[in-house]
Amino acid sequence: MNWITVEFAGRQERVAALKYQGRLWFHWRGETHVVDLDQGRRGGGRAGGGETGVTTAPMPGKITKVLVAKGDAVKKGQTLVVMEAMKMEYTLEADREGKVGEVNVKRDEQVALGAVLVRVVD
Amino acid sequence: MARPRKFERIGIANRGEVAVRIIRACQELGIESVLLHSSVDEQTAAYRMADQTVCIGEAPSNQSYLNIKANVRGAKAAGCDAVHPGFGFLSENASFADAVADAGMTFIGPTPENIRLFGDKISAKAHVEKSGGPTIPGYQGEQQDIEKLTAECDRIGYPVICKAAAGGGGRGLKVIRSRADASEQIQSAQREALSAFGSAQVFLEKYLDHAKHIEVQIFGDASGRAISLLERECSVQRRHQKIIEEALSPSLGDELREKISFTARDLAERAGYRGAGTVEFLLQDGEYYFIEMNTRLQVEHPVTELVMGVDLVKAQILTAMGQALAWPRDLKPRGHAIECRIYAEDPYQGGMPSVGKIVAAHWPYGPGRRFEVGFEPGDEVTSFYDSMIAKVIVWDETRVRAIQKMKRTLEDTIIFGVRTNIPLLQEILSHDEFVRGTMTTRFFETHFPKGLSFGGYTESERKFIQSVGSRLGETPSSGGSEANPWAHSWSRG
Repeated sequence: MNWITVEFAGRQERVAALKYQGRLWFHWRGETHVVDLDQGRRGGGRAGGGETGVTTAPMPGKITKVLVAKGDAVKKGQTLVVMEAMKMEYTLEADREGKVGEVNVKRDEQVALGAVLVRVVD
Repeated sequence: MARPRKFERIGIANRGEVAVRIIRACQELGIESVLLHSSVDEQTAAYRMADQTVCIGEAPSNQSYLNIKANVRGAKAAGCDAVHPGFGFLSENASFADAVADAGMTFIGPTPENIRLFGDKISAKAHVEKSGGPTIPGYQGEQQDIEKLTAECDRIGYPVICKAAAGGGGRGLKVIRSRADASEQIQSAQREALSAFGSAQVFLEKYLDHAKHIEVQIFGDASGRAISLLERECSVQRRHQKIIEEALSPSLGDELREKISFTARDLAERAGYRGAGTVEFLLQDGEYYFIEMNTRLQVEHPVTELVMGVDLVKAQILTAMGQALAWPRDLKPRGHAIECRIYAEDPYQGGMPSVGKIVAAHWPYGPGRRFEVGFEPGDEVTSFYDSMIAKVIVWDETRVRAIQKMKRTLEDTIIFGVRTNIPLLQEILSHDEFVRGTMTTRFFETHFPKGLSFGGYTESERKFIQSVGSRLGETPSSGGSEANPWAHSWSRG
């Protein structure tokens, strides 16, 4: 972690900052900020760039329930998969209406961050 | 009362910041500590601090921290004469307490009978009712099929709360608002219960919708006397997981305080309770109802320690050794203490867990500021365990000053590498309802249903960030619009 002084609106501001794995972490005026230097991916968010119809694992964890099968018709907001991480359950919902084109996971499977779990197509 | 003796070596069947807390207590008492850890926990503060370490299994909790045999075997092999279970994991498991005793070691905690009585919510409620304490209407039967449970929900009247019969800490706990979502919520609770505690059994209870969470810290000393260390308020909860706790509660007058404190102490003493325990109540419209008793050290024990001037972990160890406590007969509270739990999660993404390597950390030490931390820079936060990575606790003369101190302390706390809930804690600490002290357990879901949202940076902030980036010797790569190459890459943790 580096403490640096950078000018902002005519004032010298003291900032703690660090670059790590494509991200800039800095602490300024009592808040920590994270900026992705690697374009096209928002840190911590849905990997895969938020492509509609593609449900990815928002965190590493274990799949506890798969509620759809290939060919199923789904509505927007319908729960597709339930997963568990850090001992809490998270439900992943369809972000569009359509038909399930592919299901890549099964119950009790461990998945990595960003793994494509379900694809909903036209 | 058994003859006092001294432990040579204590096994710690836990991890993270509570393992560090117990190791420090052992160090100060001149007792060796043995950390019983999983394979992924070698890169932790507790691992570095313990006198000995024994790897008891793989990363998933059920293969290590929840494995009774592996913990007992590890402690025995290291020559421990006692085991401290911390909180969570096996801390409220009577079979573990039995297994530790059967192996010739002392379980640092209540007796297996105490754990069974209060750990089973059905017998706990029966004990409270027998003692004349107030309880909430509900269903605690053995019949666990969805039809029966749904019918019981109808009988109790919505909203109904569904929780794991064997657990605590917010896992396997769901609120059912109407008959329509009963079946889904019950099944979800059963799955979480099974995964967290190894039993899918749940029970139902009327949900008090504008209640405060008030809990009384009690302690049964080696002579059989139960002592009340007064209350904590933990109304700021999310998904029934506590976020901010304080001692004492801003909402109890002297009379109510004395009454609730007496109820808790009386329940414990009638049960011959030994060691640290917490009796949890809901307080609504001046009436309080027993919810559960936790037969262990509590995550938020530091706020009681700061206000009452005691050391609960040392008291646990001394009591297990059959020694008397040095506490005065007339314990009096002083000042106000607040604890904020630091969770590795992204408050701008609805509290999504954040895992990864903690690359830097800075704790702004000062008078009345206490940091309970289980990691050091370079350590990894994994998805295997709870997302609570640290606790910040402050003490000051009044509640107002304690809030001010906490806000400033969090402003100066830096964690790089994983996102934390610190921005959310700051918002809560500044919220009118919290400042007035009138918050209920609905506070979080009412005011922060989706966590925080971020409106984006101003143009001058972007320029500033760019300067910070370039000062570190790297310019942002291309992408976004030409005028502002950063346009699509902002996020804030």
